[in-house]
Amino acid sequence: MARVYNWQLGREMSYWYPESRPKRQFAAVFDTNKCIACQTCTLACKTTWTSGKGQEYMLWNNVETKPYGSYPLAYDLKLLEMLNSQQWEGEKYTGQTVFESAPAGERVLGWRPEQQDYAYPNVGEDDCANQVDTGALMKLPHMSWFFYLARICNHCSYPACLSSCPRGSIYKRQEDGIVLVDQNRCRGYQECVKGCPYKKVFFNPMTGTSEKCIACYPKIEQGIQPQCFVNCIGKIRLAGYISRPEQARADNPIDYLVHIKKVALPLFPQYGLEPNIYYIPPIHVPDNFNRQLFGPRATEAVKTYRNAFNDRDLAGLLCLFGSTERMVTRFTRQGDVITGIEDSGAAAVRIPMNEPVHIRPAQDPRNQLVRINCP
Amino acid sequence: MKTTIALLIVLLVLGGCRRGPELVPEVVALKTDNLPASPGDSAWDRAPEHVARLLLQDLVEPRQMKATTQEVRVRALSDGAQVVFRLSWADDDLSDAPGPGKMVDACAVQIPAKLSAEPPAPQMGDDDGLVQVTYWRADWQAAVNGRGDSIKDLYPNAVVDHYPFDAQSLEKGSDAQKEMARRYAPARALGNLRAGPREKPVEDLIANGPGTLSPGPSLDSAGSGQHTRQGWAVQISRKLPEGLGGSERTQIAFAVWQGSEQESGARKMRTGWIPFVVRTAP
Repeated sequence: MARVYNWQLGREMSYWYPESRPKRQFAAVFDTNKCIACQTCTLACKTTWTSGKGQEYMLWNNVETKPYGSYPLAYDLKLLEMLNSQQWEGEKYTGQTVFESAPAGERVLGWRPEQQDYAYPNVGEDDCANQVDTGALMKLPHMSWFFYLARICNHCSYPACLSSCPRGSIYKRQEDGIVLVDQNRCRGYQECVKGCPYKKVFFNPMTGTSEKCIACYPKIEQGIQPQCFVNCIGKIRLAGYISRPEQARADNPIDYLVHIKKVALPLFPQYGLEPNIYYIPPIHVPDNFNRQLFGPRATEAVKTYRNAFNDRDLAGLLCLFGSTERMVTRFTRQGDVITGIEDSGAAAVRIPMNEPVHIRPAQDPRNQLVRINCP
Repeated sequence: MKTTIALLIVLLVLGGCRRGPELVPEVVALKTDNLPASPGDSAWDRAPEHVARLLLQDLVEPRQMKATTQEVRVRALSDGAQVVFRLSWADDDLSDAPGPGKMVDACAVQIPAKLSAEPPAPQMGDDDGLVQVTYWRADWQAAVNGRGDSIKDLYPNAVVDHYPFDAQSLEKGSDAQKEMARRYAPARALGNLRAGPREKPVEDLIANGPGTLSPGPSLDSAGSGQHTRQGWAVQISRKLPEGLGGSERTQIAFAVWQGSEQESGARKMRTGWIPFVVRTAP
């Protein structure tokens, strides 16, 4: 194994291949606080990419209710249990990654779901973490909680699927870091299914090959955000490109949220894959749960998000989520107007941070009527 | 009644004394005019048998860590143009339906692409030596035997609302409909030969090292497998290696995958090189 640097762990780690970063890395931020689990993203993806034979059970995009939801079943718990202790010292991970804890004869520590594990895509949906006692809904704060976690392939910097494949059928595109399964080369060994901790590679029994989220690369090549982004009702998603921490640009939306404000965090960074879908953690969830999912920065991220109202740039940037189908790679704020800018330098969208408020008096002087709000 | 019982005992005793195949220390393809049609063909009765001990695939990760299939019994016949192998191994758990987390039974025959005194590395060849592989799979056999190309053939209780290529606007079986269905099966659309639908249960492959397996030139291969409670008997035919047939000899290797043991790709039981000759029947 080679030694590579994983900035999410704050240290070097072992990986199957030497470090080779793409020219730019596709990345995204999902705001969990805005997701309503309407599954429009799931359907947008499903109807676009996985409505063929053998793809019936595939959900390249899914939304699960945490803490009990998972697809495939217990994909997260099983690996967390296998990985044993996952210690952090400050922002440095001192536990072992899935690469470092690979058993003898294996490339990655992993497990392969069985058919039945794919049979419950909505398990735990809307289930609270705790029992709701009589009258509890009348008290604040609510001690019972859940939240929605939307998931796609993380297009990791160190993909476990890629390193698991013994015949090099998975590759990471140099132009944008999107991870793809070469459908012409794959022979369906399902090693990638076993290796991916997020279980975002699926085996197609009709073609005998494995398939996964392609980040809608034909759209990205045209500067358009993927299907699950542009169809998101809750406007929770923003796609772009992420720089390495030392090269972070304050006008790059993803860099700003991830590196500068540190409000968006990777999912299960302790696995060691350097995943590139970043989450703004839910603000109403116990801190220890957030830290298990999103790492030690979760506590601070929640504080930053709660304070976004007083942070004009951050608040403005959050307004850009779901406001345009174009890929926004730069943003600026002038007063209360935030502008999303494309690669070409053209403004993709301008958003007022505060929408104009019109107060209609209850009394209609012309008609001498009292207006009511209900139709 | 007594006569019948006595007759049965005599038959059983005679059956028990029936001679098995001649055991040979190398793989011998006996020359014949009529090649067998299936692994159950009586032509196999006179072919000598080599019992090949199977080893763990221990060269590359992922390695085979657990010894599963112990041995594969190999017989061979040749008509001078084709060579036919009969591989049999114990496997009482039929695995012929692929699926998430479900592997299928399979076997393969590997021969150096060129006759040489120095054969390439036995595990998939090497940079200096290409190997030819003829690969048979149980799910392909099931397809050839008549299993349909639909999810309901794999999962009879599956319910599918609609496929885009089943839209009413597309005439069923038309070229336009077939073309659209291909687009929804990426591996098929790209021409990945392993992606089906299958017309034969074997494929011809070449390799020059682990991880390099790719489709090879046609070896006119064919195959047929039968599963019983004892295990698999699989017949694989291919072109006789060029130059083989007289006093020359080459090497041959075999691999077996047990689906129920989650074996697939590099996770397999395999042999080392075994001498392989063609011999005239005595």
